[in-house]
Amino acid sequence: MNSFTDWLPTLMIFLPLLGSLLLLVTPKTFRDEVAGFIAALTLGAGLAIWRGGGSELFRWDWIPPLGITYSVQLGGVSLALALVTALMSFIAILYAARRIPNPGPMLSLILAMETGLIGIFAAQDLMLFYVFFEDALIPALLMLAMYGKNGRMAALVKFAAYTLFGSLLMLVSIIGVRYLGGSPSFAMTDLKQHLVTGSAQTWLYLGFLTAMAVKLPLWPLHAWLPDFHEQNHDSGVPDVMGTLYKVGGYGIFTFAVPLFPDASLELRPILMGLAAFTALYAAWIAFRQTNWKRLLAYAGLSHMGFVALGVFSLNETAVIGAMYLLAFQNLYTGALFLSVGMLQERIGSLETRVGGVMTQAGALGGLTMALWFASIAVPGLAGFIGEFSILLGAYQVSPWLTFIAGITTIAAAAYALTAFQHTFWQARPAGAVTVRDLVHTEWLILAIPLGLLVLFGVYSTPALNLMQPAVRAVLSALGGN
Amino acid sequence: MLQVPEASLTPLLPILLVLAGAISSTLLGFWLSRRTLTFINIGAVVASALSVGWLWNRDLSSFGGGLRADHAALLLGFVILAGTLMTLLVTLDTAWRARVAFPEFDAMLMYAVTGCLLIAFSGDLIVMLIGLEIMSLSSYVLATLQGSRRAEESGLKYFLLGAAGSAVLIYGLAFVYGATGSLNYAVIAEKTSTLNPENTGILVGGALLMLCGFGFKVALAPFHQWTPDVYGGAPTSVSLFLSTVVKVAAFAGMLRVFSGALDNAPGWHSVLAVLIAATLIVGNLAALRQTNFKRMLAYSAVAHTGFLGMALLGTPAAGGAALGYYLLVYTLMTAAALAIVAALQRSEEGFSVTDMRGLYYRHPGYAVALAVCLASLAGLPPFAGFFGKYLVFQAAFQNGYAWVSVLAALTSVAALVYYLRPGMLMFMPDRTPAREYGLGQRAPTTLAVALGVAGVTVLGLLPNLWYAFVAHPDIWAMLAGR
Repeated sequence: MNSFTDWLPTLMIFLPLLGSLLLLVTPKTFRDEVAGFIAALTLGAGLAIWRGGGSELFRWDWIPPLGITYSVQLGGVSLALALVTALMSFIAILYAARRIPNPGPMLSLILAMETGLIGIFAAQDLMLFYVFFEDALIPALLMLAMYGKNGRMAALVKFAAYTLFGSLLMLVSIIGVRYLGGSPSFAMTDLKQHLVTGSAQTWLYLGFLTAMAVKLPLWPLHAWLPDFHEQNHDSGVPDVMGTLYKVGGYGIFTFAVPLFPDASLELRPILMGLAAFTALYAAWIAFRQTNWKRLLAYAGLSHMGFVALGVFSLNETAVIGAMYLLAFQNLYTGALFLSVGMLQERIGSLETRVGGVMTQAGALGGLTMALWFASIAVPGLAGFIGEFSILLGAYQVSPWLTFIAGITTIAAAAYALTAFQHTFWQARPAGAVTVRDLVHTEWLILAIPLGLLVLFGVYSTPALNLMQPAVRAVLSALGGN
Repeated sequence: MLQVPEASLTPLLPILLVLAGAISSTLLGFWLSRRTLTFINIGAVVASALSVGWLWNRDLSSFGGGLRADHAALLLGFVILAGTLMTLLVTLDTAWRARVAFPEFDAMLMYAVTGCLLIAFSGDLIVMLIGLEIMSLSSYVLATLQGSRRAEESGLKYFLLGAAGSAVLIYGLAFVYGATGSLNYAVIAEKTSTLNPENTGILVGGALLMLCGFGFKVALAPFHQWTPDVYGGAPTSVSLFLSTVVKVAAFAGMLRVFSGALDNAPGWHSVLAVLIAATLIVGNLAALRQTNFKRMLAYSAVAHTGFLGMALLGTPAAGGAALGYYLLVYTLMTAAALAIVAALQRSEEGFSVTDMRGLYYRHPGYAVALAVCLASLAGLPPFAGFFGKYLVFQAAFQNGYAWVSVLAALTSVAALVYYLRPGMLMFMPDRTPAREYGLGQRAPTTLAVALGVAGVTVLGLLPNLWYAFVAHPDIWAMLAGR
């Protein structure tokens, strides 16, 4: 039995990729079912790992002469994020299968990307992490290329250039971490025992941070994000995968903090400042958006500012909050992107100034509103626990920066409610098309994430129990801060 | 009485087999069709590759150490033969369309390969020079064989600049001989470590002149000017050959001379670092502006010269292993990409980047293969190009050239953009009529492409399949012999 549990994370990582390849040879009529089945199976593997209390570290020497290992482990924060990824990929497949005409390539890409994402969360070797980090990029680019809108080429180049700019600097940092520290391999267990010290650590941290700041994204490296979302397919399916792609916060938490403890303490004030600014600045811009996708993109950016604030503060409460927010932000932002897709399907545009949708599509409006409540951290929903813990923890480190970031919660309520009011309430314009309410699986697609958000908003213990030991273990590297 | 030199022919076997192919093309060309000759040559190349395997681990040498079939030679020779095989497969389909389908083409190609192998197997400067000249002269002819103004212009340019490069190289060679009193790599390596100050100046001068000469051959900036015109103007199958096999051979020579014989000589490391930095910047930024896909690949070959050169900045152990791995991967991915261009282009000018829109919906197999090649060229995992890039970054970083690594990382961003654009355009839906040659997809080219794509994928997932052979540091410590 023990050997099987060792293999479970590997199974969970590569099952979707296998499914993705399988789809290429599956007859058209069964594609949806096969994709859904594979995604459900992946989620099941994740739940099995959770039930077993997380997996042990599995290590296999991948390229021995280079010291690159295949080390994977799913437990604590990584398991939580992998579970969310598996769930949202399943939901995205459920929606894509119905919504997109000839969805074969899209389903393949979703599954391929799921492999990259779960791999990112499971990797316990820096090179392996890098490999998955880049791998998740390829399906994202292809989704944009195959299903994007007219301006996609510019968005695509921007997205890729930003991401790769960061990740290549990270690659140099990764090489540096190993050689300047003298570690025998790239596995985290080895690297942690051979830390780089002095100013070299700061430089390497900066290289690493650049990649993560692009992914987070952190001001001023965020410019790719709104275009990426705006140019993607209307259904919102690629956007769901885009929100799952925010591995920056996780990367800093799992890799940067343990490997660069001194540098992260040293740069803490600057980085917290950037994070707080990002949160507020993005919320302010979100307020001015009239395109739902751009609005959601900036809202997501604002949340990520919060996550960054929590992680950079290096305070236990705040870091737990950040990880909690990171996990559940994927649920509500992802579901909101899908609801925007549904809205677009009905009214044919992504404009926020439509008016009166609520009168005809009550369920869509109601569920969307509830998801927005989760997004703006209304107590009783999971977003609140995350944001509140971050503010609580960060306050102990830097009250003023926390105050600035705290203003964001007010701004968030303003942009979310204004846009929602414009679209769903207000008067219905004369001669507008009739809007159909939710049908078939659409109910499930919005209700499952919402149900989980309520569940973990009220009863957060299981998730917190999962994350707390992992956060403590990471922060202990800082010498009991 | 004439002294007959001690000449064991066994270590020469891979070269002799290729030479036999060349000679048979020259002679049998009067009776046999070119296709038959190409099949004979494919047989010769495969036999040569098998003989490389047979010679493995024997460490033979001939002509008093002037020609060595050591591990380094065999590994590099194998890469050269892999590139040659892919070239021959592609010419089966495209030589006729490119109007170079006559036996002389095959003969020239095989003579060039003979020269390439001589460089890889060389144990002293003279053998290296002979190989280099055989290779260069055959390449000049290959670039000109197609009877078109563009080909003639590019061939002439190649010849003039190449001849100047050779002259500089020979001048440098003379200097090195003057400083050390020997042409043998092993003796030079021995002498360079114990040199009196007067001779050091001459040695440094010689090393730098040779660096310039090799700079022409591998297309290091600022000696790269001929590359885009020659690669762009020559028939695509010739561009394929020049940018893979010939470049691999030139790098094999550089590895032998600089990491082997001149490893202890002062001065050339820092000059090479500057040249590489210039190459990375010029190659990548120029490629960014190209609208013709074939020309873009030419500039990308220049940019890759920069990456490959970084391996020479490392210690011979780390750098040689990195170069050994990267050269094979580079050959596979570049040859596969150019093979697809050769198959799908309407004229020998290649096609424009924008013409690639929707290629996936017309030639799904080739489009996916090309996407894999471009991803590998860009250095995206899990394709082998990533590990190649990683290895050279590491080699330079470890030996104290962190700034070159960072610069390479930054210029790679530009590279990613120009690989990405065609890569993504292929997958965008398109309703306009196709702009590529509809009948280009044929079995031999497809086989070459499949070899390349399977190679970069398998070597990306399991790099150790090839890296285990090249990783042994002893191989590269003996570059100059004992």
